[in-house]
Amino acid sequence: MNKLIIIGIIGVSLAVYFSMTVFVLPEKFLAKEQFTPIPFLEVEVSSTQINLGESFRLSTFSENIGDYGDIHIVSAGFPTLSDTEEIVRIVSYDFSNSPIYIEPGEEIGAKYSGGLETVYAQYPQIEAMNRPVQPGTKFVMDFEITPNEPGPFTVYVKSIDIPHTSSSSHYPTEGQLDHQGEYVLVYTVNVNP
Amino acid sequence: MEVRQTPLSFLQKNSQKIFLIGSICASFGILLVTVGGSWDITNHLLNKPETFFSPPHALMYSGVAIGLIGAAISFLAYRKLENFKEIFRLPLRLKFVGIFLLVGAGPFDFVWHSNFGLDGLLSPPHFTLLSGMMLCSLGGMFGISRFLQNKESKNNFSNYLLVLATLPVWLAGSGIISSLSLPFSNTDYFQFNPEPTFAFVMATVGYPFLMSLICIVTAKLSGFKPGMISILGGFFLLIYGMTAIVPNFALIESVEFYSMNMIPIVMADLIVSFRKTKKASIIAGGILGSGFYMVYYPYIMYTYNESLLGKLVSPSMIYHTYFELMPQVIQFTIIPAIIMGVIGAIFAFRFSNKTLIKK
Repeated sequence: MNKLIIIGIIGVSLAVYFSMTVFVLPEKFLAKEQFTPIPFLEVEVSSTQINLGESFRLSTFSENIGDYGDIHIVSAGFPTLSDTEEIVRIVSYDFSNSPIYIEPGEEIGAKYSGGLETVYAQYPQIEAMNRPVQPGTKFVMDFEITPNEPGPFTVYVKSIDIPHTSSSSHYPTEGQLDHQGEYVLVYTVNVNP
Repeated sequence: MEVRQTPLSFLQKNSQKIFLIGSICASFGILLVTVGGSWDITNHLLNKPETFFSPPHALMYSGVAIGLIGAAISFLAYRKLENFKEIFRLPLRLKFVGIFLLVGAGPFDFVWHSNFGLDGLLSPPHFTLLSGMMLCSLGGMFGISRFLQNKESKNNFSNYLLVLATLPVWLAGSGIISSLSLPFSNTDYFQFNPEPTFAFVMATVGYPFLMSLICIVTAKLSGFKPGMISILGGFFLLIYGMTAIVPNFALIESVEFYSMNMIPIVMADLIVSFRKTKKASIIAGGILGSGFYMVYYPYIMYTYNESLLGKLVSPSMIYHTYFELMPQVIQFTIIPAIIMGVIGAIFAFRFSNKTLIKK
């Protein structure tokens, strides 16, 4: 009798365990929507005209206006340069991870694929990362830029949140594409000789 | 006339007990290393730390220091042992080799980080660390269990030391299986990720076997004392939950799911403590093995994802992918997992009869 009760308790408990863990709870969790972080980005440029030898400031203010996310990225590309050294300087930075300096020719992720598709960088780029990212968190990255040649000086700026689940996971969502096949905001400063 | 006791005479008189203290320190040290290691995996996944000096590394190397003290105490006590030298020789040797590897892994890891940046889960310094953890925890386990088996007076509390003896072995063994199956080892310099089919087999065979082996060994060594498997399993789930689930904001609500894993553990405990036979232990082993995919939530998903889905999974998407994979994984692994649990239980009997219990 005692043995039968024990077998019954064990049988029922295991049935509950497997039905809960294999059928009931997975269905409950899969019915929930995945977290969708949404980046928002504002950029301020101190001046649109400078003389050669002078500097200008480019300030990025970004925010996760969506759900909790794994990574918040802000990146600035410099299509008129081959090297950022002694030209681009970060003067303010509050992301959790150190900035990544991408050199032309480096293999980098493309088309918001998280590295599944790659391209080779055509120009230098600086990437800031914060991991993880709570909703409503704001970030600042501020550059001091001293162009070394006259003419138009262009900067491409964009923000991406991971997981990248839809077009709302990147900012901007339309416009010009950069070397990674991703949308960018374009800022140009004329450098007078 | 009062005879004054010198440290040497104290050591001589209490050498067995001091050897036990050394074994407890070794096991506790490795427990800290394994907890730090599990936390470190989560830290790498969520925060991508950029330096060697991180809180999980601090916990791990504090554990190494305690393990080192444990090995030194064991050595001092062993030298003064009179009757039980042969019994405690193997635990001492295991602790020595283990601690040598552990201590060596620290500078090796630092040099590796300095030269190659962020390393993956499976790398030469990490495997050195894991091997050291395994050997040192086995040394602690043999030391504690042999002391308990050979001491004359037994009390109820002493059996609980077996949980401290076997839990680090379970965690260290899990660490080795994880490093050989999780795809967390490719870096800019080295591609150490295990081949997906090998990883699939390794996880399916290794985890259920290990779970069953450790739980049944603990039950057998305690004389099938009720509650031993539940306490051991509860601590394992608590450590895994606190280091792999709770730090990830996106997984916190799945704690409800994870806590269900106490059910097969308590049932296995009930079976072995009720029947106290090899047959009952084999049934319990099969039950324990069958739940391995749930017990090793969440990171085990990455192993099966490599073979079955091949999706890019960022940390906040873990449970979606985990549950998406569940029907397929259960279908492919449930029978092998039960078989490996049964084999683990059979092996546990041989292991505890021949190696651990030595009179």
